[in-house]
Amino acid sequence: MKVALRHLVRNRRRTLLTLLAVLIPVYFLVFMFGFANANLRDMFETATRFDTGHAQIRAVPTKATGSAIPLMRDPSDALAALAEVKEIEWWTVRLDLPAMASVGERSRTIYVRGIVPEEVDPVSGLADRIVAGESLATGTGGVVVGEELALLLKLEVGDEIVLLGAHPEAALGAIRAPVVGVYRAPEAALGRTVIYADLSTARQLARSETAATAIVLRVAGVTGPGDQTALDRAVNDLRANLPAGYEVQDWLELVPMVATYMGILTPALLIVGAIFFALGGLVVLNTIYLSVLERTRELGLILALGAARRRVVRMILAEAGAIAVAGAVGGAVTGVGLILVVEAFGGIPLWGAAAQMMREIGMSPVLHLSANFVQVALSTASMTAVAVLAAWWPARRASRLEPMEAMRYVE
Amino acid sequence: MSSSAVMRTEKLQKVYRTGATETPALRGVDLELEEREFTATAGPSGSGKSTLLHLLGGLDRPTDGEIYLDGRAMSGLSKDELARLRLTRIGFVFQAYNLIPVLTVVENTAFVLELQGIPYRERIRRARAILAELRVDKYADQFPNRLSGGEQQRVAVARAVVSDPAIVLADEPTANLDTKTSLDLIDLMRRMNEEHETTFLFATHDTRLLDRVDRVIHLEDGRIARDERVR
Repeated sequence: MKVALRHLVRNRRRTLLTLLAVLIPVYFLVFMFGFANANLRDMFETATRFDTGHAQIRAVPTKATGSAIPLMRDPSDALAALAEVKEIEWWTVRLDLPAMASVGERSRTIYVRGIVPEEVDPVSGLADRIVAGESLATGTGGVVVGEELALLLKLEVGDEIVLLGAHPEAALGAIRAPVVGVYRAPEAALGRTVIYADLSTARQLARSETAATAIVLRVAGVTGPGDQTALDRAVNDLRANLPAGYEVQDWLELVPMVATYMGILTPALLIVGAIFFALGGLVVLNTIYLSVLERTRELGLILALGAARRRVVRMILAEAGAIAVAGAVGGAVTGVGLILVVEAFGGIPLWGAAAQMMREIGMSPVLHLSANFVQVALSTASMTAVAVLAAWWPARRASRLEPMEAMRYVE
Repeated sequence: MSSSAVMRTEKLQKVYRTGATETPALRGVDLELEEREFTATAGPSGSGKSTLLHLLGGLDRPTDGEIYLDGRAMSGLSKDELARLRLTRIGFVFQAYNLIPVLTVVENTAFVLELQGIPYRERIRRARAILAELRVDKYADQFPNRLSGGEQQRVAVARAVVSDPAIVLADEPTANLDTKTSLDLIDLMRRMNEEHETTFLFATHDTRLLDRVDRVIHLEDGRIARDERVR
């Protein structure tokens, strides 16, 4: 080990370059995983808090109605079943109705989302997203509209809006409702298309006092996209308890785009990581091979003195291992360090078109990073293993030198 | 074979082959080396001195014939067994490139002991003691490139004897040294031979060294031309 370490010190420049070849892939992967983690968490939080919940109970669609979101005439039996599943920590009834919104000479097809504001606000933070006027309250008969829709329909707080409910399974209902507030949606498409009303107001549009389209629920212990197993367990329990005519969809089924993104992201990162690892491994192989070549006479001497071949292999692998561990740990520390520094400053804010684009796709215009211990440990261990494996061939070659031939070797 | 022979050869032959060309280096050498003997093998370049030492040291294999060390035939040993034999029973001093450049003098001396698994303190103690005997202890913590050629060869001798081997084989240890340094080195080797009772066999083509040995084996064209007792 001493010989191995002294050689590393003696060839400082080459050691440093090799160290960097090991450090950079780990650093890159830790940083990229950190970005992907935060990105997915952002998507998860936005989707599950503001839109889908962790899962929803919906009516099983029937082909005859042609409705994308089937109507539940009276979900009280589903609510009773819900109470039997202990993992469900929160739920609320929602009515999403396709509707026509009209103001003066302007009109637009939208969704009216009927909610119980007192139940929804603590989870979604809708009240905190009000940028003009007031938040929604039960019994006022008012609605809140997205910034984008307000702009399209030239709406201001206090204006009246005519809403015409058009659910294929419900009778036509029409109301005139005052705009009490304007909210900033996490996703521009939501702000353009969703008008929030309290549940009773929305039910007037469906001309039903009990209608709903979903029971939105949250599951205890599910805090991120990595908790899918806990979510699956709760969803299965729920399915077993629900009466016929209902189905349960989790957030990934409700937002398939995120599921697709998740499905692509991890393999893509692993492929890029593998390419970086392979390049790092090649640099290590090259360095150790050169080192063995340069030290042929020395290795010949060591073998001539009686060193076992496996000892020579161990000596070369120790050299590679020292570089690998130092580089990989250095990469992990640098990567995690950078993540901590970025987060200490509140993330990386985007501006202009980039920020707008992020909002369009429902993502925060501030890039966050989040380190995951398992990913960091796996990246570090993988790169170390790749580097040591890369040194195997030169180490084996060194151990098979014929002592006297090696001692006569001239560079 | 006499009961005090450390090493013995029988009809030892070595032929080097390069393509279809065969070059005989040893042509049937019968030899016995007694315990505590201080022997030189002399002869012109190409006479087979180095080849003989490499075969005796298990660094190469004979084409024919047999070598016995402590009465045990070496031909049946595997590479690993030969390495083990070199480590425990044979000390080496080479003509050049004798020391590991990244290890200090004391670490170089203790290296064989390290390979043998001797604990750190013990091997360093023994290495320092032998360096003192060879009067190079003041360089113990320096790297080899700070030492002269003669000093480096003394350290190589220290490493060769530190593990108390059955025999030390030295292949032209004075080839790169001036006359005075060469004589000094041979005298030191002689002292090690007498004080540690270690058998020495060294190859040389320098006739000035031959009056300091017990026995000279003259090689010519791969054969023993003359085997004479000097003392």
